[in-house]
Amino acid sequence: MFGILASVIDGILVGAVYGLAAMGLTLIWGVMNVINLAHGAIIVIGMFLLYIIVYSLGLHPYVAIPAMIVFGFLFGIVLYWIAVHRVIGQAELMSLLSTFAVNMVLIGLGTAVWSTSPYNVPVSMPSISLHGYTFTGTHITAAIMAVVIAGLLYVLLYHTRIGKAVRAVANNREAAELTGIPTTQVLAMAFGLGVALAGVSGTLIATLFPFTVLSGDAYQLKSFVVTVLGGLGNPAGALLGGVALGLIEGLATPFMPVSWIPVVEFGLFVFCLIAFPRGIFSFTKA
Amino acid sequence: MSDILLQVDGLEAGYDDVQVLWGISLKVERGAMTTLLGANGAGKTTTLRGVIGSLRPRAGRVMFAGEDVTQLSAHAKAARGLVLVPEGRQLFSDMTVEENLEMGAYSPRARQHFKSQLEKVFSLFPRLEERRRQKAGTFSGGEQQMLAIARGLMSVPEILIIDELSLGLAPVVVQQLVETLKALKAAGVTILLVEQNLHLALALCDYAYVIAEGRPFLEGPCREVAAKPEIRQAYLGL
Ligand SMILES: Nc1ncnc2c1ncn2[C@@H]1O[C@H](COP(=O)(O)OP(=O)(O)OP(=O)(O)O)[C@@H](O)[C@H]1O
Ligand SMILES: [Mg+2]
Repeated sequence: MFGILASVIDGILVGAVYGLAAMGLTLIWGVMNVINLAHGAIIVIGMFLLYIIVYSLGLHPYVAIPAMIVFGFLFGIVLYWIAVHRVIGQAELMSLLSTFAVNMVLIGLGTAVWSTSPYNVPVSMPSISLHGYTFTGTHITAAIMAVVIAGLLYVLLYHTRIGKAVRAVANNREAAELTGIPTTQVLAMAFGLGVALAGVSGTLIATLFPFTVLSGDAYQLKSFVVTVLGGLGNPAGALLGGVALGLIEGLATPFMPVSWIPVVEFGLFVFCLIAFPRGIFSFTKA
Repeated sequence: MSDILLQVDGLEAGYDDVQVLWGISLKVERGAMTTLLGANGAGKTTTLRGVIGSLRPRAGRVMFAGEDVTQLSAHAKAARGLVLVPEGRQLFSDMTVEENLEMGAYSPRARQHFKSQLEKVFSLFPRLEERRRQKAGTFSGGEQQMLAIARGLMSVPEILIIDELSLGLAPVVVQQLVETLKALKAAGVTILLVEQNLHLALALCDYAYVIAEGRPFLEGPCREVAAKPEIRQAYLGL
């Protein structure tokens, strides 16, 4: 019995990290109505940044967290100007194609540098044992960091001037421009934030599981599932959605082969789209 | 001796391949209340959008405080005090009253005056202070219009441009807003008003421009314009 509970708790811990990834996706959608199909590739950048920090620079693995936030933010701003700015306000297909192209470029570059073989960065953290079950230290740390970063995002969006400007632009871009907000700069910044969130979730995932250059797709798909659970464009819902997905994975794992997990997840995805098109945890945007 | 704060010369603008404005010109004197009139679809909103920069003019020039601002973006114009209260209010509906006002004061110039301007706005609209933590989207139409004007005032306007002050509001609320406009004018704020209610506009204003089908139709001091029979023509589109 406790075995299932342990699996569920572990699922929730990992789910918080999924939630963080989805926040990046949903923030970008909420502010500029762009579905960022480079999301998975950015998660992979976060993973390999951990590898570089540990093996090339010999630093402590958790140095990669702040490093990825800063790098992701700047990289996101650059990406915005290269690939997103011109398709803002155009048909959604345009931004899908353009971010998908970025995805292909990044994956191609990654494959050239690191091939597609698996990488693993062992991170040692003390574990907690209860009733003969072990809760891995890295899982607990990753979940705590995900929640802390989500909390910081909340503080930024609700308690700082620039964060409020991001919400104003999300709410009504033309009005924001009229009140003196440089909305183009705000869009670039919001894209940077979304990329930083996706990247740092990748870094956290890489402290938990092995990864390859191609791992991004699976996590991008998980982000989509989380996003429909949480309501597209709703960062707080994304964290809850992530936890819910983790919980479902944790519940399912003891009872079925791993290959069945995606079937459950995407069954849920389709079910949510049909039954709760605004998301189960969506409180805003009535 | 007139001091022209805003001058528009030969403005042409439109949407995609439809040209709407065919050479609109107007002058707004500092401290005066000027009004822009015309039938539905005459191009009033389009004129204002062209002036403010949310629509790029195809031809013509916008001079503000002696400077050519035609090519400036809307946010840069707002930062200089060229402020539009748009048609349909366009509030940040998911944000609170306070946050809406804070966004109104986003530009560095307006930020400096945030505290004093907030006091002014709350004394003009005590209702907003009572409801400062309420989401703008849950407001009634009249309250939303108050908030839209208040948000415009938070930008510390040199000129306040209001598109459709009274649309959809009860007469009492309109009367209240009219009093507010009079108070603003008395305080020296320059106002450019677009208004459906002809009588209301002509009773308030100093100078009027009437446009029809995107072209200048007639202009003059409001008292004279009010007496002209052609004004009905412009409105009925005859
Ligand atoms: N976004 C748009 N796209 C295409 N055409 C538009 C758009 N907005 C306005 N128009 C057209 O431009 C013309 C002028 O519209 P505008 O909104 O400027 O009129 P208005 O004088 O403000 O009218 P109202 O009194 O109804 O507000 C109309 O024929 C309208 O159909
Ligand atoms: Mg109009």
